[in-house]
Amino acid sequence: MHRILYLIQKEFRQILRQRAYLGLIFIMPFLQIVVLGFAITTDVKNVPITIVDEDHSAMSRRLVDAFSVTQSFDFQGLSQSSNQAKEVMKRGLVKLILHIPPDFEKDLKNNVHPKVQAIVDGVDGNTAGIALAYVNQIAVKLQQEWYSEMGLHPEELLEVHLTEVETRMAYNAALESVNNIVPGILAVLLMAVTAFLTGMSIVREKEIGTLEQLMVTPIQNIELVLGKVVPMLVVAFLLFNVGMLGAGLIFGLWMKGNLFSLYLMLVFFCLSTLGLGIFASTIAKTQQQAMFIAWFFMVFAILLSGFFVPIENMPDFIQMITYLNPVRYFMVVIREIYLKGTEIQFLWKEGLAMLVFGLVTFISASLRFHKRLN
Amino acid sequence: MTNSGYTVHVENLTRMFGTFKAVDNVSFQVKPGEIFGFLGANGAGKTTTIRMLCGLLLPTSGKAIVAGYDVYKDTEAIKRHIGYMAQRFSLYEDLTVRENIEFYGGVYGLNRKQIKTKTAELLDYLKLWEHADKLTASLPLGWKQRMALSTALLHNPDLIFLDEPTSGVDPESRRNFWMLIYELSEQGKTIFVTTHFMDEAEYCHRLSIMRDGKIVELDKPQSLKQKYKADTMQDVFMKVVQKVEA
Amino acid sequence: MNQILLSIIKKEFWHILRDPQTLVIILLMPILMLFLFGYAITLEMKDITTVIIDHSKTPHSRQFIEKIRSTDFFNITGFNIPESQIEDIFFRRQARCVLVIPSDFASDLQTEMRTKIQLIIDASDPNAANFINNYFAQLSMRYNNENNPRLAMPFSVEPRIFYNPDLKSDYFFVPGLIAVLILLISALLTSIAIVREKEIGTMEQILVSPVHPVQIIIGKVIPYTILGFIDSILILLVGHFWFGVPVIGSIVFLLFALVIYILTGLSFGLMISTITDSQQMAMMAALLSTILPTIMLSGFIFPIKSMPLIFQYVSKIVPATHFLEIIRGIMLKGNTLLDLKVQLGYLFGLAGLLILVSVRKFSTKLE
Ligand SMILES: Nc1ncnc2c1ncn2[C@@H]1O[C@H](COP(=O)(O)OP(=O)(O)O)[C@@H](O)[C@H]1O
Ligand SMILES: [Mg+2]
Repeated sequence: MHRILYLIQKEFRQILRQRAYLGLIFIMPFLQIVVLGFAITTDVKNVPITIVDEDHSAMSRRLVDAFSVTQSFDFQGLSQSSNQAKEVMKRGLVKLILHIPPDFEKDLKNNVHPKVQAIVDGVDGNTAGIALAYVNQIAVKLQQEWYSEMGLHPEELLEVHLTEVETRMAYNAALESVNNIVPGILAVLLMAVTAFLTGMSIVREKEIGTLEQLMVTPIQNIELVLGKVVPMLVVAFLLFNVGMLGAGLIFGLWMKGNLFSLYLMLVFFCLSTLGLGIFASTIAKTQQQAMFIAWFFMVFAILLSGFFVPIENMPDFIQMITYLNPVRYFMVVIREIYLKGTEIQFLWKEGLAMLVFGLVTFISASLRFHKRLN
Repeated sequence: MTNSGYTVHVENLTRMFGTFKAVDNVSFQVKPGEIFGFLGANGAGKTTTIRMLCGLLLPTSGKAIVAGYDVYKDTEAIKRHIGYMAQRFSLYEDLTVRENIEFYGGVYGLNRKQIKTKTAELLDYLKLWEHADKLTASLPLGWKQRMALSTALLHNPDLIFLDEPTSGVDPESRRNFWMLIYELSEQGKTIFVTTHFMDEAEYCHRLSIMRDGKIVELDKPQSLKQKYKADTMQDVFMKVVQKVEA
Repeated sequence: MNQILLSIIKKEFWHILRDPQTLVIILLMPILMLFLFGYAITLEMKDITTVIIDHSKTPHSRQFIEKIRSTDFFNITGFNIPESQIEDIFFRRQARCVLVIPSDFASDLQTEMRTKIQLIIDASDPNAANFINNYFAQLSMRYNNENNPRLAMPFSVEPRIFYNPDLKSDYFFVPGLIAVLILLISALLTSIAIVREKEIGTMEQILVSPVHPVQIIIGKVIPYTILGFIDSILILLVGHFWFGVPVIGSIVFLLFALVIYILTGLSFGLMISTITDSQQMAMMAALLSTILPTIMLSGFIFPIKSMPLIFQYVSKIVPATHFLEIIRGIMLKGNTLLDLKVQLGYLFGLAGLLILVSVRKFSTKLE
C-alpha cells in the first residue's frame, strides 16, 4: 500500500512543477465564473425594435413612446416605410417591427378597432416568442388606459371577468440567472478538470513511455489508478472551494444547504468523472485522440446535463442518453443543495447513480487497463 | 515456479501483430550470470521479444520461463525479479534525479531509510551529486541512460533486460556504460542486452543474431567469428545476412 | 520557397492520413454531435410537472383545470395535496410549479373584474421558471378571451413572424450548432500542431532547415483548413438534409464565409500552440477557452443584446458571434454579402490578428 504514497507524491510534484498548469486549473475557472456569471441573463432584454408610424397622430405617438421607454425593447428609431423597416430587419439590426397603420387614431375613435402589426424575426424562436409576449403586455396596458379614457358603457364593463395569474418565484425570487449559471459552471469545470486531466496524464505517460517502465514494476493496477485519482480529487476539491468562495464574494451567492452533504456528493461526482477519464485513457492511443474524446464528452456533458436546456424538453431517446452523463446528476444535486438547501435524503437517487457510474467506469477501466502493452 | 537451471528459457516463442509475425518461433536459453546479446537491425523483433519476456506483451504461442516464472501466468512474480530499461528513455523528465530515484525506490517497496541510503549510494556511483536536484530533462543522454540503469537496479534484481541502452549515446559514454554492465555481471547478475552496434556485440558472452523475427545465429562471438572466418562482428553480420538471403 | 512549403504541407497531410483512427474521430464526431444536440437542444418546454390544488371545486375551476390538461405542456403529477406539503414537493422535485386556485375563485369570477390564481414556481432554474410563467399567462389570456366574447379592446396587435414562421427551435439551433462545432474543431486541430512537434522534438529538425516561421505556420494551416472544410461540408449536409434547415441565400457565399471562419478557428488554435509548452497544457487551454465562451457568449443560446454592455463588446472577440449571424442570415434570411460585410470584416480582422500574434510569438521563441 505504501507504494501509492509515492505515486501520489510524484503526481503532486509534477502538477506543482507546471506553474502555468496550476494557473489554468485555478484562474481559468475563476475567470469563467465571473465572466459568464455577469454576462449571462436568461431574461430577454433590449430587443432592438423599429416602428413604422403611418398615422403621425397623438395616439400613435403614445404607442411609440410606450415602446421606446421600456427596458424590454431597444428603440432604434422610426422607419419611413414598411419596406425600409423590413430591410433593416433582414440585416439583423432589429428583431421587431411595429407597424401602425394610417388612420389609427381615427379608427380608434370610431370604434373600428384598428390592427397594429408586430413583425418579429423568428430565427431565434425563443426570443421571438418572448418579444411578442412583451408586445402584448405593453399593448394590454395601453388598451386598459384607453379603455377607461374613452369611457365605456358600465354594463359592458360589468360583463368583463378576467383571471389573473399571480406568480411567486420560489428560491430565486428575482430570477437571477447567476444563481443557476454559477453552480452549473462549477459542475462543468469540475468534470472538465477531473476527467480530462486524469485521462490525459495517463495517455501522456503512455505516449512518452514512462507507463511501460511502470508496468514492469510490481505496482498493481488499482494502485496505479488510485495514484492518479487521489491527487486529482484534491485538486478538484480545492477548485470547487475556490469557485464557491468566488461565487460568494463576487455574486453574494452562498450555499443554502449542508456543506458536508455537498462535499459527499462532490466525492461521488468526482469518482464518476475520474472513472470516465481513466476509462477514456484506456481507449485513446495518443494525446490528440484523448483530446477529441474529451472534447466530445465536455460538450456532451454541458449540453445534455440540464444546464440550460431542461432535460424534460428533449425527445425521449435523448433523455435516455442523458442518464449516461454524470453531470446530469450533479447538476441537480448542486442546484438543489446550493439554491434550495434540499436535504440529502431527497437526493439519494442522484448520489447513488453517480456512485454506481463511478464504480462501473472504475471497474471497467481496471479490467481494460492491463499491465500489458497492446 | 519452474526450475530448469536457466535464467531465461524460451521455446518456439512467437508473437503476431495481426497477420504479421514480429517474432517467429524463437528458442534460446540464458545461463545465470551471462551477458546475453541480441543483435539485429531495426525492426528485427528484439524489443518485441524483450517485452514478452518482461510480461509486457502476451506471446501468441510458445513457451517462455523467466527467472523461473511463466510469462503467461506469473508476470507479476517476474516483475519483482527483473530490472528493465526500455528502449526509449522513460524516467520522468519533469522530476529531478533525486525525485526519480525516490519514486522508483518507493514503487519497488523500499522504505524511506532504504531509499535514502540507496540514493546516496547511486549518486556517488553515478557521480551525479551536483545534478541531484536538477530536472532530469536537463541531463545529457549518456547520463540519463546510466540513471535509468541504476533505477532499474534499485530493487536489486538478478536479471536485467536492457533494450538498446546505448543508442544515440557518444562513444565515450557507451564505453562507460559497458563498464557498468561488466561490473553487474561480475556481481553475478544476468544481463540480457539488445544492440545494433556490432562492436558492442563483441562484449557479450553469447550472442544471437535476429533477422525478420527469427534467430539466425546463436553462439559465442569468438565461435561465430571462427565459423564465418571473419575478423570483426561486422563481417560476421554481413555474412550471416548474405547466407540467410541466399 | 514554394518547394519548402509544399513539402511541409505534404508532411502534415501524411500525419493526418497515417492515423486513420484519429481521422475518423475528427470526421465523425462533429456529425454525431450535430445529430445528438440537434435533437436535444430545444427550448420549448413540454411535460412541465405541475401540482394543482383546487380549493374552489366548482365548475369554473374545473373548466380552468381542463384548459391546463388539454395542452401537452403540462404533466399533472399531483392533485389537491395539503398546502403544507408544497415545499416538500419542491424538495422531492415532483413538480416544477404548483397552481393554487383559491376557494372564492368562482364567486369572484362572477362579481369582480379580476380574479387571482396563485402560481408558485420553483425558480432554481430561472430559465424554465420564466417559460412556465409565460405559458400560464398565455393560458389565462386564452381563457379570458373565450369567456369574454364581448371584450373588445380599442385596438389589437396582429403578430407576424418572419423567416421561421413556426418558431422552430431547429432553425435556430442547427445553424448555431454548426457554427459552434466548426469553431471548436478547427481550434482543437491546430492547438497541438506546433507544441506536439516541440514535445516530440521534431520541431528542432525543422528549424535547422532553411524554413521561415511563416512557412511553417502556413504549411500547418492549409491541410487543416481542408480537413476542417470537409468536416464543415459534412455537417452542413446533415443540417440541411436531415434537419431540413433551408439555405435561402447563396451557397457560394456561405462556403466562402465558412473558409474565413475555419481560418479564424485554426489561427486561434495556432496561437495557443505557440504560447504553450506541452500538449497537455495546449489542449486544456484550447478546451477551456473555446467551449464555454463559444457556447455561452456567442448568442448561440443567450441573446447578446440581453447581456450587460461590456459583455456585448466581449462577445465581439468570440469568432462564433459573427459567424452565427452570417450562417443564420444566409441560411434562414437569404442575406447577401452586403448585408453581412461587418460580420465578415470582424472575422477577417480576428483571423489576421491571431495569425500575426502566432507568427510573432513563434519567431521570437526561436531567437
Ligand atoms: N504494437 C505493434 N503493432 C504492430 N506492429 C508492431 C508492434 N510493435 C512492433 N511491431 C512490428 O514488429 C516488428 C518488430 O519490432 P521491434 O520488436 O520493435 O523491432 P526491434 O526492436 O528489433 O527494432 C517491426 O516491424 C514493428 O513494426
Ligand atoms: Mg527495438
